[in-house]
Amino acid sequence: MFNLPRLYISCLSILFSTLIFTACSSKEGEKSTEAKKAKQEIVTASLSDPKTFNLIMSNETSSTAVLNYLFEGLIRLNPKTLEHEPMLAKSWEVSDDGKEWTFHLREGVRWSDGKKFSSADVLFTFKAIYDPKVPNSLKDIVSIDGKPFKLEKLDDLTVKFILPKPFAPFLSVIGVAIIPEHALGKALEDGKFADSWGIDTAPKEIVGTGPFIMTKYVPAQYVKYMRNPFYWMKDDAGKRLPYLEERTILIVPDQNTMYIKFTAGQTDIHSPRPEEVETLKNDSKKLDINVKRVGLSTGSSFVTFNRNPKYFIKDEITDPKLKWFTDKFFLQAIAHAIDKESIISNTMFGLGKPAVAEISEENKTFHNPNLTDYAYDLKKAEALLKEGGYKKDRDDVLRDGEGNKIEFDLNTNAGNRLREQICSVLKEDWEKLGMKVNYRPLEFNSLVEKLMSNFQWDAIMIALTGGHEPHNGANVHRSSGNLHFWNPRQEKPATEWEAKLDRLVEEGASEMNLEKRIKIYHRIQEIYHEELPMILTARQDDYVAYKNRIENYEPHVFGLFRPEMIKIKE
Amino acid sequence: MLFKRFIRNITWPAGISLLILLLLYLSALFAPFVSPYDFKEQSRKYPNAPPANIHISPLSEWGKGFFYVHPVKMADVYKRRYEEDKNRKVYIDIITDEGRLFGLSEKEERLFIFGSDTLGRDLFSRTIHGGRVSLTVGILGVLISYSLGLIIGSISGYFGGLADNIIMRLAEVFMSVPSFFLLLALAVVIPSNVSSAMTFLLIVVIMSFIGWAGFARVIRGMVISERERDYVMAAKALGASHRRILFKHVIPSTFNYTIISATLSIPGFILGESALSLLGLGIQEPDASWGNLLASSQNVQNLINYPWILIPGIFIFLTIMSYNFLGDYMRDIMSPRDSGGVE
Repeated sequence: MFNLPRLYISCLSILFSTLIFTACSSKEGEKSTEAKKAKQEIVTASLSDPKTFNLIMSNETSSTAVLNYLFEGLIRLNPKTLEHEPMLAKSWEVSDDGKEWTFHLREGVRWSDGKKFSSADVLFTFKAIYDPKVPNSLKDIVSIDGKPFKLEKLDDLTVKFILPKPFAPFLSVIGVAIIPEHALGKALEDGKFADSWGIDTAPKEIVGTGPFIMTKYVPAQYVKYMRNPFYWMKDDAGKRLPYLEERTILIVPDQNTMYIKFTAGQTDIHSPRPEEVETLKNDSKKLDINVKRVGLSTGSSFVTFNRNPKYFIKDEITDPKLKWFTDKFFLQAIAHAIDKESIISNTMFGLGKPAVAEISEENKTFHNPNLTDYAYDLKKAEALLKEGGYKKDRDDVLRDGEGNKIEFDLNTNAGNRLREQICSVLKEDWEKLGMKVNYRPLEFNSLVEKLMSNFQWDAIMIALTGGHEPHNGANVHRSSGNLHFWNPRQEKPATEWEAKLDRLVEEGASEMNLEKRIKIYHRIQEIYHEELPMILTARQDDYVAYKNRIENYEPHVFGLFRPEMIKIKE
Repeated sequence: MLFKRFIRNITWPAGISLLILLLLYLSALFAPFVSPYDFKEQSRKYPNAPPANIHISPLSEWGKGFFYVHPVKMADVYKRRYEEDKNRKVYIDIITDEGRLFGLSEKEERLFIFGSDTLGRDLFSRTIHGGRVSLTVGILGVLISYSLGLIIGSISGYFGGLADNIIMRLAEVFMSVPSFFLLLALAVVIPSNVSSAMTFLLIVVIMSFIGWAGFARVIRGMVISERERDYVMAAKALGASHRRILFKHVIPSTFNYTIISATLSIPGFILGESALSLLGLGIQEPDASWGNLLASSQNVQNLINYPWILIPGIFIFLTIMSYNFLGDYMRDIMSPRDSGGVE
């Protein structure tokens, strides 16, 4: 699976669970160790229930986390080498003009109900994604300027994709999970696809090509899997994978429970919060676990200011906020008044790095290392505000040139302790500048509603997950994108730099030369750095803790390396 | 009369409770003076600092201060380990130059007598300030809901008939409002530029407007039995107005019960506030209340590594116990069967 930018729910570890398989042993597992041979089972925990079993319709990590083991794409990104590796397609070639891609599918692949996998399924999957009656977020990812790919079935095991124009990130987007035509074909024909495979479907009916089959789902308790006997992948010795016989995802109410379950030995893999890392390291002998740094998180919490004229201009009266929020002096002052060092030492327990570029350092290919951070300097922030015509009055209240009090709301999602603390730090510093910041954490859904549909907000702190392919951020960069938070779905780019972003996104998508592509994305990061539509804070170090008896567990920032190989030490 | 009896018969638990409550209310009233730092001030170099070790100065140094501490410094950011600089002594000033009750003589060092939180804020100052919310909530809530309950209940009981019927059905409606969901809805509806103290006040007021119903029913019952008494008949015969009978005779006769019950239900409001703030619906960061200070101890890690974050819980405990002892004592001295008071 690729990581498209999704708003991520309450905490990092949800995001984390999509990236990383977790493994564990339950009490039953312990019993069977006594019987000499370890039971090949792992237990992990997840924070929320899946909303659907239909992968095409799933929009949030809680559903994809549950479905990831069941489905596969034609190819996937190897998180270790950052190259694409064959999955359901064993090889592929591209024509000289870069518009025609031919995929040769693997022979002998079967769906988990025993039916044969063929090119018809690939065609069906894309037909479902492109169907106007199926509202899904994949549509934008697998099209170029709104134009879909054309698919041709050359024979039972060969599929040709014809693109309207050369598309550099093609391999990164084509890893969409393939769904079975024999199980869902009728639903699509009847126009019921969007409602099929809801969470009330019997788990056995969810047919995939992935390494596991879902056997049981009890809402708010657990999801159970067993290995898919038809799974095609074999290890070097020719033994069928996966090694694990069973796996379980426990659904737990909060991160505290997650931690307690892990330390009590009820789960096998855990993504610790920063404050848990030291404790787990100290207890690693006692708990027989390994605590490992995965790398810098790809997402960073950032603050974005609303620049949407639909909200600020009413009856031809412009709210002065719109002027501040598009004013470089104001934004730079805000950026200089973020104490990133303290945020890292106090809220992340020293496990993090200031975020400077929009693409994380961990993405070595596309990260722009040449940007200088807005250093924490309240004096400089004050000087910038003064230069921009803002003045403190006698009561130390900051006012703009027209004498309006600088006062705005700051929201974030309630329940995310880390983000709430960062907001407290920001509020304190910004109020030192004389601004009045009305900080209030909101329930996640009402926050999303503000961002995506009613646009009634001033400043919001949120985070985005990031994948390796920078084009997956097109929805954020494009002025017409729906994740272009500060002013989404514009008909025409409102400013010159947004027009430039639009152009760069197009160029970045069609440029086939990697060196030149990297330059384009460096430029995009520079624009973000100059115009500050998203004011970055800090990136956290991601850690995992897992039981020592788990073998072949190799997490990377962009996912787990060969998760089929995970096994329990015998 | 009542006051005299109250003082003369005071028992040990009641006396101590009264003293504790007085101290708590005084410290909340003079919070800016009592607390050594502003409760919002983030000393970012001192996250999760442990409570200070306060030493008594040797007699010869009493000129500089009766107490001193060794300054601390964070030695390990990952483990939040602090080291004391044993070679240096920083004395504690009583009544500092800035007009605070106490503080360190060296301003660049920090004195956290209850420790600090993740953002380096002084837990003592926050607890004292938090008391302002937590301690007023009880009194305010009880005041509103009990005066409403008293008036409505006694009217309903005294007049009876149709009025009684209507009022009691209304009370049942109020009693059936699911208060928790009402609060959830309120938390979303209240505009964000209202300060969190104001938000909270609003919630308490609305809560008590719902909360009067149960009490009103009890009062109604008492008034029904009271209005049949001879003295009420006598008052009626002498031509006293309904208002006079109600306010001069009937309602005062329920005061014993009212005062006891009010004292005993103040803790309910305090706990309610704590629960709400714990859930993130009451007082919001960076403002403090005992409930939201306790919220950080929901995290197991924090609780194990920084046990001092439970201190606000001790304050809640003390306050509630004090009110309960006081309520018990009041019941004893006001019990009508034993008007001589407790021995």
